[in-house]
Amino acid sequence: MSVQPFQTMPVSRRPAGPIIDVSPEASSLEIENLTLAYAGKPALRELTLRIPRQRVTAFIGPSGCGKSTLLRALNRLHDLNEAVSWRGSIRLEGQDIHAPEVAVDELRRRVGMVFQAPNPFPMSIYENVAFGLRLRGGLSRRRLDDIVEWALNAAALWDEVKDRLRASAWSLSGGQQQRLVIARTLAVRPEVLLLDEPASALDPISTLKIEELIRSLKSQLTLVLVTHNMQQAARVSDYTAFLHEGELVEYGPTDDVFTNPRLARTENYITGRMA
Amino acid sequence: MSRAVRSGARRARLPRGEGPWAWLAAGSVALSLLLLGGLLTLIAVSGLGHFWPASVSLLELDDGRQLAGRAVRELPLPEGEGRERLYFTGNRDLDGQVWHWLAVERIAASERPPELVVLERRRFGDFIGRLVAVVPADRVQAAAAAAAADEPEAWAALGSRLDALEALRAERETLRRGVILPLVRQLEADPEDRAARRELAQANARARVLAAAMQGEVAILESVDGRRLVQPLDEVLRAWRPNAMSLPEKLGAWSRGLWRFLSEGPRAANTAGGVWPAIFGTVLMVLLMSVVVTPFGVLAAVYLNEVAHQGRLTRWVRIAVRNLAGVPSIVYGVFGLGVFVYGIGGSLDEWFFDEQLPSPTFGTGGLLWASLTLALLTLPVVIVATEEGLARIPVHQREGALALGATRLEMLARVVLPMAVPAMLTGVILAIARAAGEVAPLMLVGVAKLAPQVPVDGEFPFLHLDRKFMHLGYHLYDTAFHGDDVQAAMPVVYATALLLVLVVLVLNLTAIFMRHHLRARHGALPRH
Amino acid sequence: MIAPPPAPPSSRSPWRRVVDRLATGLIAAGGIGVIVALLAIGAFLALEVLPALLSGSLSREQVVASLTPLAWGTLKAAFWALVFAIPLALGAAIHSAAFMSQRLRSRLKPTLELMEALPGVVIGFVAGLVLAPWVERHLAGALALLLVLPPGALLAGGLWRCLPTPLRRRLPLAWAGLWLVPWLALLGLAALTLAPALEAGWFAGDLRGWLDRELGLDYASRNALIVGLAMGFAVMPSVYALAEDALSGVPASLGEGAQALGASRWQTLWKVVLPTAAPGIFAAVMIGAGRAVGETMIVLMASGNTALMSLSPLEGMRSMAAGIAIELPEAVPGSDPYRLLMLAALLLFLFTFLVNTLAEAVRDRLRRRYRRLGGGA
Repeated sequence: MSVQPFQTMPVSRRPAGPIIDVSPEASSLEIENLTLAYAGKPALRELTLRIPRQRVTAFIGPSGCGKSTLLRALNRLHDLNEAVSWRGSIRLEGQDIHAPEVAVDELRRRVGMVFQAPNPFPMSIYENVAFGLRLRGGLSRRRLDDIVEWALNAAALWDEVKDRLRASAWSLSGGQQQRLVIARTLAVRPEVLLLDEPASALDPISTLKIEELIRSLKSQLTLVLVTHNMQQAARVSDYTAFLHEGELVEYGPTDDVFTNPRLARTENYITGRMA
Repeated sequence: MSRAVRSGARRARLPRGEGPWAWLAAGSVALSLLLLGGLLTLIAVSGLGHFWPASVSLLELDDGRQLAGRAVRELPLPEGEGRERLYFTGNRDLDGQVWHWLAVERIAASERPPELVVLERRRFGDFIGRLVAVVPADRVQAAAAAAAADEPEAWAALGSRLDALEALRAERETLRRGVILPLVRQLEADPEDRAARRELAQANARARVLAAAMQGEVAILESVDGRRLVQPLDEVLRAWRPNAMSLPEKLGAWSRGLWRFLSEGPRAANTAGGVWPAIFGTVLMVLLMSVVVTPFGVLAAVYLNEVAHQGRLTRWVRIAVRNLAGVPSIVYGVFGLGVFVYGIGGSLDEWFFDEQLPSPTFGTGGLLWASLTLALLTLPVVIVATEEGLARIPVHQREGALALGATRLEMLARVVLPMAVPAMLTGVILAIARAAGEVAPLMLVGVAKLAPQVPVDGEFPFLHLDRKFMHLGYHLYDTAFHGDDVQAAMPVVYATALLLVLVVLVLNLTAIFMRHHLRARHGALPRH
Repeated sequence: MIAPPPAPPSSRSPWRRVVDRLATGLIAAGGIGVIVALLAIGAFLALEVLPALLSGSLSREQVVASLTPLAWGTLKAAFWALVFAIPLALGAAIHSAAFMSQRLRSRLKPTLELMEALPGVVIGFVAGLVLAPWVERHLAGALALLLVLPPGALLAGGLWRCLPTPLRRRLPLAWAGLWLVPWLALLGLAALTLAPALEAGWFAGDLRGWLDRELGLDYASRNALIVGLAMGFAVMPSVYALAEDALSGVPASLGEGAQALGASRWQTLWKVVLPTAAPGIFAAVMIGAGRAVGETMIVLMASGNTALMSLSPLEGMRSMAAGIAIELPEAVPGSDPYRLLMLAALLLFLFTFLVNTLAEAVRDRLRRRYRRLGGGA
């Protein structure tokens, strides 16, 4: 594992551009000069940023700014779409995720993803959590039970479902479904967890639970959160990146970005003057 | 005041007239429903009525002639005033015909005496008349001299005799199937087997004893105009006195008749008896077809929807597959005949069944080729239905599986295909419904008018793919159009048509229900 | 919280990838194989026929002489089927798209789907053995039925306007498809009862004889009209389904715009909806024609199968499909009759395939247009 050395650069010396460096944190994902286009139309332009390990990084920006696109690029979900073309590099723990020796399924295990709408499979709660584990096989029944219980605990769902593990996952409420999906992802022990507006389809109480969960998971893995909810980004994240029209506008510690944005564009968006 | 306002408001809410065309359009809906309802009612009533033990009338004509029969229908006379009625009078061996058209005004008297019997016989069809006596064959002369003295006693004797005959027949059948046929096969394999030979001789002797016991008794019958007839009892299948039967008795006889229709083989050149071999052949053919069409249809749909590059070519292929569902079935039959029967079947014969040439084994229509042809015919149905099911599955279900590190195969096998199962089943059921009613291609690739052997038996390899088989739809066509006496076959044809329609409708209703259920379930799924 | 378990071993990883590749390859091979097998039908027919045509072993005269009557019979049967099916199907489609109550409509569609599923052999049997003899005996009655039913629906409309309001409310136009059924049945019975009297008055009591004498028309019991009626019955549901799709797919905003200007529903339909949906209706008719051309059992059982070339709808015909069904089992493979029948099959295949493709292309374009007009609805 080779972690790239960080260039330390004082903030004050780069007043106009985004801060791409979040030192002194060790970075988990490094994105360099990433340009991505849908059917020839660019969605991301020359993006460079580093995502620190075991921190919550939030991507914010108006809809269509490319934040979800960026997130999906991080675990190569764009592979499915033939219309997508890209340039640049993304490194996970120093290794290029597009390198030929990287297997995409293993990459996606290491970089888990939770989507906007809860998407449990039409199976029992237990089977949903065990899904990713069963793909890899080689686990005894006991081990499987242990990991399922651990994952549900980690997603703060165990107490609610421990008596009905065999019930259909679709019988859960929306918030529970979303936590089940997080448990399902945690069960395969990812290093990075990508969350694409995980609470946008949920009620306020469920949203709070998810946010709590995100904060509690920080000690174990790197989290990347896409959200359109400013308060949420401010509440949950350690670092915030503001994207606009496919470009990284501003990036830095969340407190700095929210209380003291360096660019007018960022301030306009955060204060609600730009949709 | 308020009342006037209210009535004014009501007038304003009344729908406006839409002019004559709207009514014509509504009329065409009503007419379609009327036609459909009429057709179904006609088939249901005529098909089920066949099994009803209808009353028999004793008629006296104005010239003193007497006739017994059951009325079938009535029409205006082709010339002149009045109406005429068609009677089924049976007694082909006495009259040479079974139908009589009679002008209604020529009937002087009509009554329904309870002692009239109807006998269903193996030869010459039904007998309608009176029962005189049941006697051993060697005492016919003496008994014939006596008059119809004791009618109820004769009827009771006939009943018990027929029951005994039924038991004998059943015993002979079990003997034939359980003992004689296995022994014959054993001897074919090893002609030197002494023990088997001895056993076979014993069994044959027993069969002869049974056969002898079945003969030997006759019924003396008398038609209503007094002609006598000596009827060997082993040719009588059933006897009943419709005029003496109560309603529950008739209902019982009706359901037994229905059951016999479903469970027995055809008799009298398909104009009587049941359709069991045809049901069996249809079901077997359809089963074989689904075994072929389901995996291949699903494979093609998965390829088109999940694997293939979604470009212009795939779109064209999709349209072509859809259009193949509209290509006439007879064209598939031609393809089956040319490729399966003459092409592949002919080659198979040359390679493996050389010694039997020139009589073909696989080089002629048969069960296998019919199933394959129909599988090809129904492939588009399964492909289209499965593809629709696959396309309906939300993207985020697939992405959820991929995000957990599933490969494409794992995503398909564990998430996508299980969710598409109802759609696939719908497609397969629709395919089965279509195949069950399809006749034209079968005429080219393998049905038989009368197949004495069912394609499944105890003989190796148990399932005989090369045999011809009977099919409900073809049975219907053949009986209706190639029989000698279409009029006599009509009841059977109606009953067969009813059965076919019921099978197809039930299958389609299942498919419609499943599709509805499917939509309701997927509608509840969270969507992007 | 319990200590997290270590990351699960990915023991099967390389193996999984191989299996995935393999399976994807197999699916692709199988899928392509199935599709090729399906498309091989056309190729097979062409291969059977073209060499003989090109080498001249099947002469032009031979082909023309033997196929013309069959082609004529096919077109004649299809024509009469469409004559019955199109008004019925389009009328029903218009009514159910524009006037019918949603509840009735959601029941009517599966009912007509069931009608489509009725096996041809059953319809053919009823047409050939029940309807044909009945019409032959009650020619005047059948004619009266045909003449009475359309004005009957109009009469119902006229009477409806004169009904008292409460009754009118009980019998709305939205449910007319249902409550007109007994009305039409009643009218039909009346027509049948009166027919003999009319026949006696106008046609000297013998319509058949009159047709023969006055118009020189010979009446065959199994004729083109019977075939047309039966096949129209069989084809009508599919035409209905497609036409209904086209009509109800017209974006509601278009019709509402016209109604806001004071047009009645019928005017809206006639001036706005029908022209927009016209290509879809055309496609529906094309698909109906394709089905009528290829239907075998109904023609076989209801047409008499004589290879006549007459214009008269009261005479029989023999269609290509029926000809193939009758003659092909007896034809020796490779002989001239065999190749001629193969040619007939090829023509049927090409015709239906082209007609369907055309219809599908039209429908595809129409769907896109609706999407544009309806703003993605």
